[in-house]
Amino acid sequence: MGTPIIELEAVGKDYVSGPSVVRALASVTLTVDHGEFVAVVGPSGSGKSTMMNIIGCLDRPSHGAYRLANISVESRSNNARAVLRNRLIGFVFQGFNLLPRTTALENVELPLVYRGQSKKARREMATHALDQVGLRDRMHHTPNQLSGGQQQRVAIARALVTDPPLLLADEPTGNLDSRTSDEILALLQALNRDRGITIVMVTHESDVAGCASRVIIMRDGDVRSDKRQDTPRDAAEAAKAARAAADHPPESSRGSP
Amino acid sequence: MFLTSLRIALRSVFRAKLRAFLTVLGILIGVAAVVIVTAIGTGVQDKVVQVIQSIGSNSILVITRPVQKSGARGTSGSSGKLSDSDIDAILREATSVEAIAPMVSANAQIVVADRNTSTGIIGTNGDYLRVRGYTLRSGAMWSDSDERAKSKVCVLGATTAETLFGSEDPVGRVLRIGKHAFRVVGTLARKGQSLGGEDPDDRVLVPIGTFRARIMPLPPGRVFLLIASAREARLIDRASNQIQSILRQRHRIGEDDEDDFVVHTQAEFMKMQEEIFSTLQMLLLGIAVVSLVVGGIGVMNIMLVSVTERTREIGIRMAIGAREEHIMGQFLVEALVLCAVGGVAGAAVGLAVIQILTLSLGWSMILPPEALVAALVTSATIGIVFGFFPARRAAKLDPIDALHHD
Repeated sequence: MGTPIIELEAVGKDYVSGPSVVRALASVTLTVDHGEFVAVVGPSGSGKSTMMNIIGCLDRPSHGAYRLANISVESRSNNARAVLRNRLIGFVFQGFNLLPRTTALENVELPLVYRGQSKKARREMATHALDQVGLRDRMHHTPNQLSGGQQQRVAIARALVTDPPLLLADEPTGNLDSRTSDEILALLQALNRDRGITIVMVTHESDVAGCASRVIIMRDGDVRSDKRQDTPRDAAEAAKAARAAADHPPESSRGSP
Repeated sequence: MFLTSLRIALRSVFRAKLRAFLTVLGILIGVAAVVIVTAIGTGVQDKVVQVIQSIGSNSILVITRPVQKSGARGTSGSSGKLSDSDIDAILREATSVEAIAPMVSANAQIVVADRNTSTGIIGTNGDYLRVRGYTLRSGAMWSDSDERAKSKVCVLGATTAETLFGSEDPVGRVLRIGKHAFRVVGTLARKGQSLGGEDPDDRVLVPIGTFRARIMPLPPGRVFLLIASAREARLIDRASNQIQSILRQRHRIGEDDEDDFVVHTQAEFMKMQEEIFSTLQMLLLGIAVVSLVVGGIGVMNIMLVSVTERTREIGIRMAIGAREEHIMGQFLVEALVLCAVGGVAGAAVGLAVIQILTLSLGWSMILPPEALVAALVTSATIGIVFGFFPARRAAKLDPIDALHHD
């Protein structure tokens, strides 16, 4: 690919609390190209979440320059960053972050609402996105009627529905058992491979990081290592093997109704 | 966008039904109170205006007043009585007075064949109709010679005529008042308006001399009160001043002594009543507005709770691209929905109460449509004003903090 989508240049973030200044991110220079699958690994407090927030346009860097898809972001207003998030980024969180008491379909439609799409177009696009994550038949279920894996699939559908070039996943498998994790990871790998979506994923599990094509290790607010993996672990294979071993369908793995 | 906000708002209102209901109740009570108070006030005002118009705003009332003389001087109180000769003097000397009628009255039983009724008998003269603003429906007023001869003739008010004679024209018929037979010479057209609840059409007029001789023994010339009318409405004050000075002179009241009579103009009466009512109405309206404001504070409180409760939801919405105005709109619309529901329900309850009061108590209540509109606009305004602060607070949340809120 070779064209950069994320360009961080000496980006740092300081949190001021009273008299003391906490340096969450020292000075990170990082470039991610279109089509990469990057895993960011590090212990808590290493600055990986702060970096993700900056990349996700949820937070502003204290210093340094950040260009997202060739757009300089660091000094944009709140509303301008909201538009960028809506247009360019899909978010997947550890806690799924679906709206409670709201159906899967409506959850997936939400980003389109803020894009001003017509109701009919929203419905079509959301249905299509749910179809892609294999939850078309569950689209009228609310989150509490879905298993954790299914909820995360809905969240991925919501992130994909706007067809963003970049997907940010913050510990997407943190709340899931290993088999369901593999299924989610397989889905992410497929999206990266088949649709060319750039993925940046924060994790602290080496297993999960093994699925990415590039692993960045962070410590004390800085990048410690940045390595490419030529043969990432195939999560789909692992999931298939686990399924065969358990000998029953994955949907029942976590008490689906 | 607005429709979407409305849908989101409705959904969150329905999620917390009891809370929403209580919040709405606050607005409902306020709006209903405003509607009812306005209707009562407008009804009363309207009635006062009608009564003034029907009585004739240029009439003047003179009534006697018992005078307490200072103990040192007083043995026998001065007469303090009005008489026929006062009338003659006023007619002769008061240039601004157009007509004046004496009045004595008593209640009596009236019998016609098998029907009877008890009503007020008024002894007066031919000018009574003009000063009170009555017109004749049939027949005629009695003549001066009837008055002099103390003839047993009478004129019936519309209600009395109907009670005794039904739809028949009573002119020429004979009825009994006490033990005397009276001939009906005329009937009055219906007037139908009065403040005190007393029916101005339920009365019988007889010549004052006849009254004193046949109905209630009174000294000759004795009058309970005088009713006069000014030549023009603008001459009322002058006419009442003239009456006052003539009577002071005739009753030999000294410079420093108080009048033994009181002169009221009809308009003054009405104005006083109107003032009392409008003061009362302002007070009630004030209370109603306060309750509306309290309702608004309730809305604000609930909206703040709602924002806090849904901080995480706000964070999610922000992360996936909601702009500040989207979040703000969502909560403003929610507040607006609560207030609009309260406003409409309050107006409905208010209208129902007005109906019930009108039907069961016979209160005259009028709700001007603009008052209804004003109540609804006010409740919507309260929604926006008291919803603004919580909505702004939601819109200004930091997306990261909001996402990590539990």
